[in-house]
Amino acid sequence: MLLSLPALHLQTSEHHPLFQLPHRRLGPWCSPTGSPAPLSCETGCGEGSWILVCRLLVPTQVSLLSMEEDIDTRKINNSFLRDHSYATEADIISTVEFNHTGELLATGDKGGRVVIFQREQESKNQVHRRGEYNVYSTFQSHEPEFDYLKSLEIEEKINKIRWLPQQNAAYFLLSTNDKTVKLWKVSERDKRPEGYNLKDEEGRLRDPATITTLRVPVLRPMDLMVEATPRRVFANAHTYHINSISVNSDYETYMSADDLRINLWNFEITNQSFNIVDIKPANMEELTEVITAAEFHPHHCNTFVYSSSKGTIRLCDMRASALCDRHTKFFEEPEDPSNRSFFSEIISSISDVKFSHSGRYIMTRDYLTVKVWDLNMENRPIETYQVHDYLRSKLCSLYENDCIFDKFECVWNGSDSVIMTGSYNNFFRMFDRNTKRDVTLEASRENSKPRAILKPRKVCVGGKRRKDEISVDSLDFSKKILHTAWHPSENIIAVAATNNLYIFQDKVN
Amino acid sequence: MEVQKEAQRIMTLSVWKMYHSRMQRGGLRLHRSLQLSLVMRSARELYLSAKVEAHEPEVSLQPARSPDPRLHPPREAEAEAEAAPLDGEQPSPEPMDTQEAPRAEEAPARGAPRPAKVSRKRRSSSLSDGGDVGLVPSKKARLEEEEEKEGASSEVPDRLQPSPAQAEGAFPNLARVLQRRFSGLLNCNPAAPPTAPPACEAKPACRPADSMLNVLVRTVVAF
Repeated sequence: MLLSLPALHLQTSEHHPLFQLPHRRLGPWCSPTGSPAPLSCETGCGEGSWILVCRLLVPTQVSLLSMEEDIDTRKINNSFLRDHSYATEADIISTVEFNHTGELLATGDKGGRVVIFQREQESKNQVHRRGEYNVYSTFQSHEPEFDYLKSLEIEEKINKIRWLPQQNAAYFLLSTNDKTVKLWKVSERDKRPEGYNLKDEEGRLRDPATITTLRVPVLRPMDLMVEATPRRVFANAHTYHINSISVNSDYETYMSADDLRINLWNFEITNQSFNIVDIKPANMEELTEVITAAEFHPHHCNTFVYSSSKGTIRLCDMRASALCDRHTKFFEEPEDPSNRSFFSEIISSISDVKFSHSGRYIMTRDYLTVKVWDLNMENRPIETYQVHDYLRSKLCSLYENDCIFDKFECVWNGSDSVIMTGSYNNFFRMFDRNTKRDVTLEASRENSKPRAILKPRKVCVGGKRRKDEISVDSLDFSKKILHTAWHPSENIIAVAATNNLYIFQDKVN
Repeated sequence: MEVQKEAQRIMTLSVWKMYHSRMQRGGLRLHRSLQLSLVMRSARELYLSAKVEAHEPEVSLQPARSPDPRLHPPREAEAEAEAAPLDGEQPSPEPMDTQEAPRAEEAPARGAPRPAKVSRKRRSSSLSDGGDVGLVPSKKARLEEEEEKEGASSEVPDRLQPSPAQAEGAFPNLARVLQRRFSGLLNCNPAAPPTAPPACEAKPACRPADSMLNVLVRTVVAF
């Protein structure tokens, strides 16, 4: 299924057929060399050349103090101080999400921290620094907890982050671990009041007897400080482990989904939530499937979908009834009997479901494939892409090393023309839906020179191995790319490889 | 035969995974346990069907196979009882509730009381009976068990004293192999009889009679 692609180096827009057909111009942007070039998201990127913008290490002990200083953050971002081998498990990135403008990129890790990166603003002096992301804010979102009633530890790992659309100067995001969702407000402070009457400069109280004159405090500029405060904590609503959260298009409600139930919350109310889906059977022995992911429709605030471990997707309309146990649409593809194996049930489990930006399609990821479904056709997907079909014969080994349980995510690009998902060996794949071309790229330290162009990779499935190909048996299954994100309007992608965050952009020259 | 071996290996592996998933942080994952149990079931069915093809069909095969689903729940429930003292956790209502989850096989409906009973009854019953230890989580299951034993194949090897009566049937070898493999897996002396209230990790393996499935169930049920 992999098409053999020509060796890609720099591609000029004249030669590349894709880039000649912009359907919608989004305005000029600076290519790394500084010369503006029009870019349209419609052009897709199946064959486009991707360059590394920056590789970011999730800062741990180092930079809570130096977060605000540009120089230090740049040092951390561009340095390779921390060797991969020293990475602790707490540094493993567990979720990546751009905000609605793409200016901010949030990552959550296993240690319960959220790190927000901000895009470098375009400036005349450093025109080619635009496109780089630097650390903007770091905070500890969740702490490990202990459920005394059940004698269970609750992991602090951040499962999902979702941004709220910006409505004022502050940024809001939802972050969740297995049990608790939190709403965080991230705001900037660049002025501070000076000249208090009752306090001196250090904040100590003055003896009122020494005050002889009165003055009005004034706001003076200070070094930019970014503070994150938890504004809401939505707790104690889930018995099972939360796997998804999704903000509704009404911006007033959101849902959280665990293995068996989905709850609807209002942002203002933390002590109540509505249960809108409950698939827990009366007798747990009869349990056959669990909810694996859920998402609201991007435009219709009454519609959402949820995927199951059986490879099915259900679309529900909240107007139909209070409890949406009965689906409005049911998407299922009949199983291909020739592919039936021991592990068929496991690999058909859907690990991620995403609406397209248009709201017309949904994309699902199971272990070996990505499928695009039209909301109007329930009996089969309209497109199926093989991500790493060469693993089909290795399912038994993958079961042994637990890789078969990996939950890969998938993302759409801004124009819904390209989809991307991760694989093993730090490979990630992009599929262009229009041209049907696909590419495999690698996020690795070897390719980590800034502005280095990514070379497409190919996995040799048998027979003779060509020079640049890698054989299936040499793949490193401990290096997996589960989480990726695509900028909402530009061809900039963020790829999380264990504890490293790679940011690539499409190079148009 | 290859198929059988493969199925066996996968079953053992699944049990091991289930057992160790109990120790992980964050508690048991429902989805993961469900998937493991699905694989377990596929492996078991494959193994059984391979066995059937390999051996002459016996009348006893039929009753032998049907009990298996029913044997499982008892074992699973039992597993919980064993698992509970295993690491000192108290099986709370929720874990007990979800203990059923991984058992995706059709099983006779077992009421909620059973799990609650399990932790106490079984321990005492296991302490008292030498031979049937670990096999019978509840009275109901015990009755079924006894019926099946006559039929012969018991996928569960009560093997503290390998009695010929239980060894009859189509699956004595499976039982032995499972026991052997699993005991080795847990690195415990199979001959040690469980006497004192179990406090040690090796408890499941200390019951050599228990089949791999027994332990599987235990670990799973410890939800």
